[in-house]
Amino acid sequence: MEDKRTLESHEAAANDRVGFGFWVYLMTDLLMFTVLFACFAVLRNNTFGGPTGRELFSLPAALIETLILLTSSFTAGLGMLAAHRGSKSQVLTWFGITFILGFAFLVLEIKEFAEFAHEGHSWRSNAALSSFFTLVGTHGLHIISGLLWIGTTLVFIWKRGLDSHLVRKLSLLSLFWHFLDIVWIFIFTVVYLMAFVV
Amino acid sequence: MSEVTKPRHTQAHHGTVASYVAGFILSLIFTAIPYYLIVHKSLSKNALITTILVFAVLQMMVQVVFFLHLGREKKPRWNLFFLGSTVSIILLVVVGSLWIMSHLYHGMSAMNVTDKIVTDEAIYQVDGKQAGTCPGGTGKTHEIMMMDDRAVPDHIDAHLCDTLTIMNHDEVTRTLIYGSDGKSATYAGQSSLSVRKGRSVSIPLTELGTHTFYDQKLNTLSGKFTVTK
Repeated sequence: MEDKRTLESHEAAANDRVGFGFWVYLMTDLLMFTVLFACFAVLRNNTFGGPTGRELFSLPAALIETLILLTSSFTAGLGMLAAHRGSKSQVLTWFGITFILGFAFLVLEIKEFAEFAHEGHSWRSNAALSSFFTLVGTHGLHIISGLLWIGTTLVFIWKRGLDSHLVRKLSLLSLFWHFLDIVWIFIFTVVYLMAFVV
Repeated sequence: MSEVTKPRHTQAHHGTVASYVAGFILSLIFTAIPYYLIVHKSLSKNALITTILVFAVLQMMVQVVFFLHLGREKKPRWNLFFLGSTVSIILLVVVGSLWIMSHLYHGMSAMNVTDKIVTDEAIYQVDGKQAGTCPGGTGKTHEIMMMDDRAVPDHIDAHLCDTLTIMNHDEVTRTLIYGSDGKSATYAGQSSLSVRKGRSVSIPLTELGTHTFYDQKLNTLSGKFTVTK
């Protein structure tokens, strides 16, 4: 009993350390996004005679993307609760839904990018679009790595079952996913909603 | 089963289904409200910008409290501390960038960049045409004094390549706008000219024609200068 307790406290300390390290990474990542946000805020009107965000963006599409990502953040949270309960099947279900929603989000975003590029408004057109593609694209890259991470972790859980190591992995994963959700909220507000303020 | 072996410290962090549902519903509401406001344009510009930013911050706080469960960890709260310092850096970077860049933008509005550089650097030719600078040195100096909320004299006749010196004897900084009431103009690529209290500013008279100016805050303080060959 005594042994087990020290083992647990060791593990708890390790969890805290890993959690803190990951948190530091998230905060530095946030600083990178901050610089991209600042760039966008400064350059958003420099369209070099091209269309402004108001003429390019579709508000309903941005709203749907937001709702999808919010829901995926919610299902990731429920998956985390299931992980702490030790329910493998529920973990697979909730994080599976998170994966599908994340993938749907990515498809919509790539579709939007492709439409812009097809209409001749690429990142090479003007400073406003360069900063737009950099900011939103960086978030998209994070979503891609998040999806890869979810996918591989789910395969591990499916094959090996839930052990404490994988639960810790999941908790970092959900932290990452909530973080991407928060960044998107600001993209939704600053990039999409702001474009329609007259 | 694994309930028994669960490390105690994590229990406080997890939250419950109820807290996740509450967070989700709140985040949906905080998305819907700014969206509605934008679509229906029910507020003035600045109020709208402030409101949607406030809702974005509220939304972030919902995520942080209900989903990330921050602030419920054991002391010392390093995560919270780190978030706090990151947010301050974020504010510095974003507000600072916007501030600096808007000042640069006003000091050098894009459409007149060439004119301004031509004047500042005394460039003689642009695209094979004379740029209006004075390579042979400057001529006479004319003075306009601003005192007691008036410009004295309020009209000056000068020749090309003369210099105009505007002195400010009042106790406020004067920002002079080129043009007359309601009609803006530019001179040497700039739309305005700032003269601090007790100081003077000299401008080379390189553009032909009659140019008018008035004070930004006090429309009755105005004057004009005519440049002939």
